[in-house]
Amino acid sequence: MPQAVVCVKPIPDPKHWDKLYLDHKTGVLRREGVPHALNPPDKHALEVALQIKDEFSWDVAVVSMSPPDTVKILRETLAMGADRVYLASDKAFSGSDTLATAYALSELIKKKIGLFDLVVCGSMSLDGSTSQVPAQLAHYLGVPHVTHVTKVETDDAKSFKVVMDFKASEMIVECKTPLVLSVTKEVNLPRIANVMGIISSENKPLEVVSATDINADLYKVGLDNSPTKVKELFIPEIKRKKEILKGGDPEDIVDELLDKLHETGVL
Amino acid sequence: MEKYKGFFVFVEQINGKISEVGLELLSKARELADEKGTYVAGILIGNFSENTAEDLISYGANKVFLFSEEKFKYYYSLVYSKLIVYLVKKEKPEALLIGATPLGSDLAPRVAAQLETGLSAHCVDLRLGKDGVLEQVVPGFGGTMMAVIICPEKRPQMATIMPGVFKKHKLNRMDGNVVRETADISEEDFVPHVVEHRIKEMKTTPLNEADVVVCGGYGIENKENWKLLEKLAEILGGAIGATRPAIDEGWADEDIMIGQSGKIVKPKLYIGAGISGAMQHVVGIQNSDVIVVINKDINAPFFELCDYGIVGDVNKVLPVLVEKTRKKLFK
Ligand SMILES: Cc1cc2nc3c(=O)[nH]c(=O)nc-3n(C[C@H](O)[C@H](O)[C@H](O)COP(=O)(O)OP(=O)(O)OC[C@H]3O[C@@H](n4cnc5c(N)ncnc54)[C@H](O)[C@@H]3O)c2cc1C
Ligand SMILES: Nc1ncnc2c1ncn2[C@@H]1O[C@H](COP(=O)(O)O)[C@@H](O)[C@H]1O
Repeated sequence: MPQAVVCVKPIPDPKHWDKLYLDHKTGVLRREGVPHALNPPDKHALEVALQIKDEFSWDVAVVSMSPPDTVKILRETLAMGADRVYLASDKAFSGSDTLATAYALSELIKKKIGLFDLVVCGSMSLDGSTSQVPAQLAHYLGVPHVTHVTKVETDDAKSFKVVMDFKASEMIVECKTPLVLSVTKEVNLPRIANVMGIISSENKPLEVVSATDINADLYKVGLDNSPTKVKELFIPEIKRKKEILKGGDPEDIVDELLDKLHETGVL
Repeated sequence: MEKYKGFFVFVEQINGKISEVGLELLSKARELADEKGTYVAGILIGNFSENTAEDLISYGANKVFLFSEEKFKYYYSLVYSKLIVYLVKKEKPEALLIGATPLGSDLAPRVAAQLETGLSAHCVDLRLGKDGVLEQVVPGFGGTMMAVIICPEKRPQMATIMPGVFKKHKLNRMDGNVVRETADISEEDFVPHVVEHRIKEMKTTPLNEADVVVCGGYGIENKENWKLLEKLAEILGGAIGATRPAIDEGWADEDIMIGQSGKIVKPKLYIGAGISGAMQHVVGIQNSDVIVVINKDINAPFFELCDYGIVGDVNKVLPVLVEKTRKKLFK
């Protein structure tokens, strides 16, 4: 059976980012009270794979690298229709940058899935928003990649015609499997898990593996072995006048504004 | 580590034209290189004449490495990345800067992975640390948090940088030379196969260069009000920008979106109307000299981030603002 692999990342739920705060003493980002959620673009990636599954009977495996308590969140992908989930979770992975993450995911795919036809990623993870993992993963898997994909078409699920959106231009690209795609939210509308899906997800396999389970080279993962380091975190300080011009009549307020802009020299 | 010298910039072409961000990065690289006492090189891939390559010299390049062949005209990630990796291994630059455009963010990670070096994404500032290491400032969590990223042990230090954060700067006189380069690329690297290349019709918006930017959000409510906003931009001799929801409403084109996923602007005057002030938008405007906000909700977060705030309904305020500004400027 042809194999799709979808890369899904649990991230701090964007709805609760206002609760994130920086511990100024330690410089550490605190996330207490911020639940995890699936990275929204990754649902579009999963939907691409599920549509191929529906039409051509593929197997869809989800892979992820994240802390063990995100298992619950990853179950949602099974409820949506994925066949199984592999979660790489290990202290050795923590602090990995995109290169180390891509390496770990590639080892997870090689050891747990083996041959694959298509790897689908989201266009970016909203928390870090690097958009780097898909191309780096493709490098480690030794296959080509196409990013910024807004449309995926296939007649036979062997060759794919995709649209790559580069803003100033659009490329229509013909690709053969195996390859890595990263898709934007324009590509489709992800399905919502229904009750049947949720019930059947209970019996689908979800395997949590460690770094040694997949024989990952420990000198290539984790904080110490990531080429980039976070030297410092800071909250952008914004110093502004914050002069609020109130008063009932728009005429007066506008006059006041124009005078102020004139005084400051911008008009 | 000392072997690695020079700041290299990949200068992207957009439909045959040199990209603005390429020139912006050359100018920034010039500044950093002068501070460090080293040189700047531009990398140009495509089907170019030597004249085009020489243009880069006036923006600060001491050297331009030119890969010019008909078959390099279109972007192929494997081909472009191999050319760059070949050059980097030969020339050993300490840093490699690439625009955070769609092409740049497709290319850079492939290059970094082949070189097994660090890469930071969507930088909004670059500076040198005391130890001479490149400090790369990147927004996280939609701009609510900033991180200083460094790559202490691997070379080159790689970063993609948002277009518009640095100003391009043409120098009067600069000495430099163009070096023609080529590398072995097999036919197999021209995959996946590009069957069609469609140039999108886009009105080029001078958003990056405008002294005044008028920006509208979801609170503009309708197309008629949007037209008024455009009028205001026109009167002020500025450019118009939009937030994501305003584009989703169909009032404006995607290419004038301002913020984390769009353009970064730093005009002398920014006026934001009907905008709540989400960090994803604010990161794109926070370096403006003066920020004016118009919103009917006094609790809108944007009021905390502005110089002058008008608490009012755009339906009432905008027409007055347009008329009075017109009178003030064209007495
Ligand atoms: C990863 C990511 C990236 C993003 N990137 C960007 C980006 O680059 N750029 C961007 O803009 N957004 C971006 N967004 C979206 C961003 O989070 C906000 O949703 C968006 O900026 C809000 O736009 P808005 O202020 O126009 O709309 P809203 O948040 O809906 O605010 C509308 C405001 O208008 C006011 N209003 C309503 N009616 C009136 C009236 N009649 N008169 C006066 N005021 C009125 C309301 O009080 C409200 O404050 C991104 C989001 C994510 C998750
Ligand atoms: N830790 C991870 N686990 C699984 N997939 C990931 C992980 N990090 C990134 N990805 C995938 O790579 C895409 C781009 O992420 P990023 O490069 O972090 O912006 C995401 O949308 C995911 O599909």
